[in-house]
Amino acid sequence: MKIVLAEDNEILRKSLSFFLTSKGFIVDQFSDGQEALEAIEKNSYDLILTDINMPGRSGMEITQYVRQNIDSPIPIIIFTSSGVEQTELDSFDIGANEFIAKPISPAVLLVRINKLLNIRL
Amino acid sequence: MKNIEFPIPHNETERLAALKRYNILDTLPDHVFNDATKLVSYICGVPIAHISFIDESRQWFKSEIGIGVSEVPREISFCQYTIMETKMVEIPDTLLNDRFKEDPNVTGGFKVRFYAGIPLTTPDGYNIGTICAIDHVSKELNENQRNALSIIAKHVINQLELSTKNIELNAQKKIAERAVLVKDSFLANMSHEIRTPLNAIIGFTDLLAQTKLDNIQRDYIDSVQIAGENLLLIINDILDLSKIESGNLTIDEHPFNLKKTLKHVYNLLKVKVHKDVEFNLFLDAELPENVIGDQGRLNQILVNLAGNALKFTEDGEVTISVKKVSETTDNYSLRFSVKDTGIGIQEDKLKTIFERFTQAEESTTRKFGGTGLGLNIVKQLVELQNAEIHVKSKQGRGSEFFFVLTYKKTDHIEIPTETFFEEGLGKLKILLCEDNVLNQKLAKSVIHNFGFELDIAENGEEGIALLSKNTYDLVLMDLQMPVKDGYQTTEYIRNEMNLTIPIVAMTAHSLVGEQERCYSVGMDAYVPKPFKQAMLLETIKTVVNKDVKLPPKRKIDLSFLEEMSCGDVNFKKDMIDLFIQKIPNEINQLEAAFNSNDMDVVKKLAHNMRSSFDIFMLEDFSNYLSIIEQEANIGHFTAESADKMNILHCGIIEVVKNLKEL
Repeated sequence: MKIVLAEDNEILRKSLSFFLTSKGFIVDQFSDGQEALEAIEKNSYDLILTDINMPGRSGMEITQYVRQNIDSPIPIIIFTSSGVEQTELDSFDIGANEFIAKPISPAVLLVRINKLLNIRL
Repeated sequence: MKNIEFPIPHNETERLAALKRYNILDTLPDHVFNDATKLVSYICGVPIAHISFIDESRQWFKSEIGIGVSEVPREISFCQYTIMETKMVEIPDTLLNDRFKEDPNVTGGFKVRFYAGIPLTTPDGYNIGTICAIDHVSKELNENQRNALSIIAKHVINQLELSTKNIELNAQKKIAERAVLVKDSFLANMSHEIRTPLNAIIGFTDLLAQTKLDNIQRDYIDSVQIAGENLLLIINDILDLSKIESGNLTIDEHPFNLKKTLKHVYNLLKVKVHKDVEFNLFLDAELPENVIGDQGRLNQILVNLAGNALKFTEDGEVTISVKKVSETTDNYSLRFSVKDTGIGIQEDKLKTIFERFTQAEESTTRKFGGTGLGLNIVKQLVELQNAEIHVKSKQGRGSEFFFVLTYKKTDHIEIPTETFFEEGLGKLKILLCEDNVLNQKLAKSVIHNFGFELDIAENGEEGIALLSKNTYDLVLMDLQMPVKDGYQTTEYIRNEMNLTIPIVAMTAHSLVGEQERCYSVGMDAYVPKPFKQAMLLETIKTVVNKDVKLPPKRKIDLSFLEEMSCGDVNFKKDMIDLFIQKIPNEINQLEAAFNSNDMDVVKKLAHNMRSSFDIFMLEDFSNYLSIIEQEANIGHFTAESADKMNILHCGIIEVVKNLKEL
């Protein structure tokens, strides 16, 4: 299973990447939203994991682009440390499949990814 | 130019000087004078009345009715003639008076028909002004009205005298207050100057006493020690007195063990008891173990009273007894008594013994010594605790001093001191900041005696230099030093170097407020000079142990990172290194952006950094960033975010340090 991970915080990105890799996923990580989007357009992935606030493109923009421009149903998980309710509503509104508030629990993240990918443990 | 001519009193120069003394000319209206003027108008039934003063060129109205101007030239005034007289001048009809019938103020102007004026005569006999009744119609005063007018004149002069005296009094009061201030600071300075060398004398005598001595030398040293201690007592008495006088002596309220305190006083004095005297301590069975009050002052009062009792008793008994007299839900009332069978006090001296420099017998000083300040201090200390001291005495039979103090109850239970470091503190490394060579030498010997290592800095700046080079367990800090004093140095150590090292102030000042100042700049303890070795050691123990007992350093919770790393130690280490490498830098950037109000950068950095803190479970830091981010969103930083920024700055330094130690 191939995952795009877009997160600009290096420590979190590397940690998540390491964690998911340990769990058997292949992770392509990006710190810039634009680069992530380009990779999504070029390659085929099974899931997108994206932060909202990023240089290049925001997670919201990526989601919107994937749904509207690429017209792909790929599962998207948005995570953010913004505690604003509207952000969560907006995320689902533009087509995200999951919304996770930071700090992200690795176990919870794993469960959600698996659910979205229909993987049974 | 028209030559002005008017009658001039023979004593004009002195008269003008007298007027000047009252400082009344051109002052603001005053109701006392206005009332007097009204009274003149009522009593004499006239529309015009005034109180005026005449200087070299004018008649100035302190108070007037019906005139409407504040002054007139002297040469046109009627009163210029009145001040030539000693009695009242009354002109029933000015038109019939040769001097005035052509006067412009009669034919026109104020249209004066009737004039009655009394000179205002100072106690030393100068007519400085007048009090007048004036009418537009002719009239004659009756005897009562004339009397009343003279009485009012006298009152006006009295009033002037009074206010002048008040002004003088005020000036004198200011001088007196300044003198007290000067005296206080003189006493404080002198006692400082005396204590510093005394510190050295007592300290070195102490050290000398610990060396090998023969019996004669031992005897000499004992005498020097006793003399030194006595001298110190006297200086302390004087200092206490000056503190009480200036209102600087305050009563502390802390829980303390009452029975222990009393036994301590008893043990302290036991050694001084004459062989034919029985010294007792009687404690009421119902006496509370602990109370809230001023332990030190109780100690001082009892040592003073019992010390006196022992001094004046050659045979018989001296008894300290303490009894509970009453109890409420909050307080205990305790009666303290010091009773002796000594020489007693004559009845006519009982009232004066509490006065300063008074001893019952003039020969007392010669025979028994003492400053004559002790009982006065005791009295004031008792009164400061809202109580009264009483004395009963019969000459030749003995005396009893007693007082009832009210102490608050406490549920404080004394925790037995931990024996954690009791056996020894190990080889502590101590830094002494002290400029006085003698004190340096003394401290060096004492500290070496304790078995500690000592480095000495001549001043605060040197101390700081040593502190940044070496590691110490403790700093002993003199307060008065050249270059950087103890306060400045401590502030620097706490705020610039961010060190939590225990700092103990050592000072000969012992002024009220000084101790507070020491604590407020961040010192941990305070030892007055001349220091007692035991006290210094005790203080060192306390602060060093306190440091050990400080809340444990922030323990970094790596469980989240562990979960992420799935047990991979290397990856964990990589992330920690990344944190150490990135975060301090980011904090600096954040701080710079914060300080330059760059909202966008602050927003981005704060937001981004939160993720890093989350991984290291630094929830508090993450929250601080959230606050800073929110304020950046609003576009305005408040004191709160500035405060959080500060905490973050310091906290990150600590966290990074801890992470590096892992």
